Amino acid sequence: MTFLKRYLLPRLFQYLVVIFVGTTIVFISTRLTPADPVQQTIQRITAQGGYMDPAAVEDFSRTLRELYGLEGSVLQQYAALWKRLLTGNFGRSYTYFPTPVIQLIGTSLPWTLGLLSLSSIMAWLIGTLLGGLAGYAGQEKWAKWLESVVMIVRPIPYYIIALLALILFAYFVPIFPLSGAFAVGKKVTLTWSFALSVAKHAFLPAASLVLGGIGVWFIQMKSMASNIVAEDYVMFGRAGGLSRGKLVLQYTIRNAMLPQITGLALALGQLLSGALVVEYVFSYPGVGMLLYQAITQGDYNLTMGITMLSIVVIATGVLIIDLIYPLFDPRVRYR
Amino acid sequence: MKHLRRILVLLLCLFSTLSAVGSIATAAEPTRSETLIVDILQGRDANAGNFNLWVPGAAFASKGIHHFMVRPLWMTEYAKGEVLNVLAKDPPIYNADFTQMTVNLRDGIFWSDGVEFTADDVAYTVETLMKTKGMFFNTELNLYVDKVTKPSKYQVIFHLKTAHSRFHSFFLDRWGAIRFMPKHVWEKVQAPMTFTNYPPVSLGAYVLEDYDPQGYWFRWKRRDDWQRTVVGKLYGMPQPKLVTFHFYGPPEKKVIAQSQHELDMTDMTPEALRAALEKNPASRGYRKQYPWFVNVDPCITGIQLNHDKPPFNLKDVRWALMLATDIVDFTMTGFDGMATLGAMLLPPTPAYTTWYYQPMLPWLDNFALDVDGKPFKPFDREAPMRLAQRAKERGYSVPTDPGQIREIWGVGWWKYAPDVAAKLLERNRFKKGADGKWLLPDGTPWKFTIITTPTATHPQNRNAFAMAQQWKKFGIDVSVETPDQYATITQRGMFDASTQWPAREPWGAHPDMFRTFDHWYSAYYKPIGEMAIAPQAAASRWRNPRMDKVVEALRATPWGNTEKIIQLGMDGLKILVEEMPGLPTVVYPGILTWDETYWTNYPGAENVYAQPYHHWPNFEFMLPFLKSTGKK
Repeated sequence: MTFLKRYLLPRLFQYLVVIFVGTTIVFISTRLTPADPVQQTIQRITAQGGYMDPAAVEDFSRTLRELYGLEGSVLQQYAALWKRLLTGNFGRSYTYFPTPVIQLIGTSLPWTLGLLSLSSIMAWLIGTLLGGLAGYAGQEKWAKWLESVVMIVRPIPYYIIALLALILFAYFVPIFPLSGAFAVGKKVTLTWSFALSVAKHAFLPAASLVLGGIGVWFIQMKSMASNIVAEDYVMFGRAGGLSRGKLVLQYTIRNAMLPQITGLALALGQLLSGALVVEYVFSYPGVGMLLYQAITQGDYNLTMGITMLSIVVIATGVLIIDLIYPLFDPRVRYR
Repeated sequence: MKHLRRILVLLLCLFSTLSAVGSIATAAEPTRSETLIVDILQGRDANAGNFNLWVPGAAFASKGIHHFMVRPLWMTEYAKGEVLNVLAKDPPIYNADFTQMTVNLRDGIFWSDGVEFTADDVAYTVETLMKTKGMFFNTELNLYVDKVTKPSKYQVIFHLKTAHSRFHSFFLDRWGAIRFMPKHVWEKVQAPMTFTNYPPVSLGAYVLEDYDPQGYWFRWKRRDDWQRTVVGKLYGMPQPKLVTFHFYGPPEKKVIAQSQHELDMTDMTPEALRAALEKNPASRGYRKQYPWFVNVDPCITGIQLNHDKPPFNLKDVRWALMLATDIVDFTMTGFDGMATLGAMLLPPTPAYTTWYYQPMLPWLDNFALDVDGKPFKPFDREAPMRLAQRAKERGYSVPTDPGQIREIWGVGWWKYAPDVAAKLLERNRFKKGADGKWLLPDGTPWKFTIITTPTATHPQNRNAFAMAQQWKKFGIDVSVETPDQYATITQRGMFDASTQWPAREPWGAHPDMFRTFDHWYSAYYKPIGEMAIAPQAAASRWRNPRMDKVVEALRATPWGNTEKIIQLGMDGLKILVEEMPGLPTVVYPGILTWDETYWTNYPGAENVYAQPYHHWPNFEFMLPFLKSTGKK
């Protein structure tokens, strides 16, 4: 009962507040941009030569405003938004009108989730493990060498790594494809051929994400592990003749990885915003480009849909971490 | 152990089945020699499965839809200056007071599912668009159309509510027009706005074969009955069996794709074009040699000035800005010489040069500004020659024949005369400060901003930075900003100068200037803060009673009376030169590369048999002329 009142309920309340405030901020910020979704639509029609009768433009704008649900004051629109969201309806995209936002997200999201979750977890696992080992090893030669390599790679902006990977392995040694999620002409089927095509197309984006992501996890973990190695209980364990494996895995890495777990939860939550640079460089499908396009085109509903999902997933991730933290850290349980 | 063995056997069976299915799925892969691969101008279509072109935003036209799925009544062929009769057998026929338009349709044109295209489809489409709020042209059709009648299977008469001498322009495709729905498909549709129109039935010679649900590629297959399509009847069999529209991504990806011979036709940036030519001996531009660019694009670029913001309301100021521009320097800086000079708010394409620039040359030569009581003739016929010379000095091989130089770089521009520009400013009480910078009449520094697109490779962006450099050199404190929403900002009038098109793009294929001039009609004026009717031209808030009269006269002139149309066009252009409401710089410099590994005989500058872009709806008419190299 005390756990419920003092631990669970405050966190649940905080969770709901975060979602409410986040959604409200996104709503306000989309309305503050100068992009007008109706004018963006008209601009798209006319920009490439499409003819619109000047006498009809105003009438057409009114019709679009009505269809887009942009009539009424900002407060009325805000109220309508919550009414819609509470029934699980994100509305229709303006850029791809009248396609429902949820359908557009649903088409792109699996590719973002598949690529980013896999590469994030891999980068986390490799970075955490190597960081833990290097932290324990301290001044050993291989640890110093590894750290030097990581320190060189880590500051390189991700898009440089991505471009290099693309040029090396899709141009000079063209063993990987240039773009897309699978080969032209392939049907989405449950076949080895399709699976191989997907794996081949995802390899470069994933490898560059892993390479670019390892550094941060490595540095964080190494620094935590270096501190823990100097703790009394590790020294006693060593003096007591415990095996090196036990000292590394159970005494050092396990205790050092609590912040890493929090970091991983937050990183996974952010997957929903997509990876704009990956999608741009590798022409890989995902929600990143969709979100960018939604923002520049003033597509309020699509922007709200993607950011809302992101907010909910990040908040849920943090909540779950909060709730399972006691399992990793007994000190939280007794507080 | 027993269980493990069973699992292994099961996995083996599954693997074999999947492999077999996989091999079936890949067995029918088409050969490259039968396939033409072109870029998708609008990029990845995140709504890939939607082919409903009649709802704004629902489907990207350039994924093959407006090339093959739909066909218009008429189409502009700007490279040759012709209006093509597509589904219509002949040009529109109006009655004397422009309240009726009769259209005669071609017979023997069939949809890809075997149903004949007739007047029923035309009438049904117009009626559906009229009754479905939110569909393209719903507003226009309701504004003008009283009813549509079908005297025969191949004839349609539009009865109009009010006189409209340009009503047919709604059906004239220039990257957009009213295109037709197959009645036999759509009459079963309950909700036209949400109908995805998949699988699409085509009126062109290709039908959708397959597409990527993620929107990166769309593959169209030539119809077996291509003879029953317009292209088949007019030009013969389109050569590629398959046409794949494939978006590879940013320009560097397109260069790689083309160097691997996986992209036959694509747009490029000037930098990417050079890389493509260097990396792939089979790549070529619209011109085989420098300056490579497409100079037939019916669009004039330049700078739009906000007339509701002083001092841009002053004609002298606008002219001073023109004369403070060294166009040769500007073109070499912004475009490396790869652009045609446009002296008027009309692109000097071959057709417009014949209709307007050449006949107006004597007037342009004699046009004079009054400077300190003396006439100053600003037109400079030699600008293209100087531009060619500068390009030569930069190391490029340029033609020596003056005719060829003018064909590439235009008939002339305005003199670089900063001294005259200074006089025009000084007589309006501008003066130069101690630091050499211009001060406004109230003594404050003259500062203003040019807003432009953030896309650094776009000609609008290049116009902004190259022009800012010119005017800074002249002593004006000019800066450039690149807001993402700059089109909307321009349209609201919250700008000093903008690189949105300074004039509405003309038809390109007909001397009628109504499309361009009408956007400046005073009745459409909107004050700052309100949305102008379009970000181009009208956003400048320029009004002129003389131009209103030209627009009204054009409205009363039949489309077929080209002699009078050209006369009115010249009247309007003279007003535009005198007033210079926006500053024209260069024709939109299209940059294309074509790979000749699998296909040749593209419509390059040496053989302009059709417009050269793969993203225009006319693309289909180019296909019968392409030649396969036979390479497998």
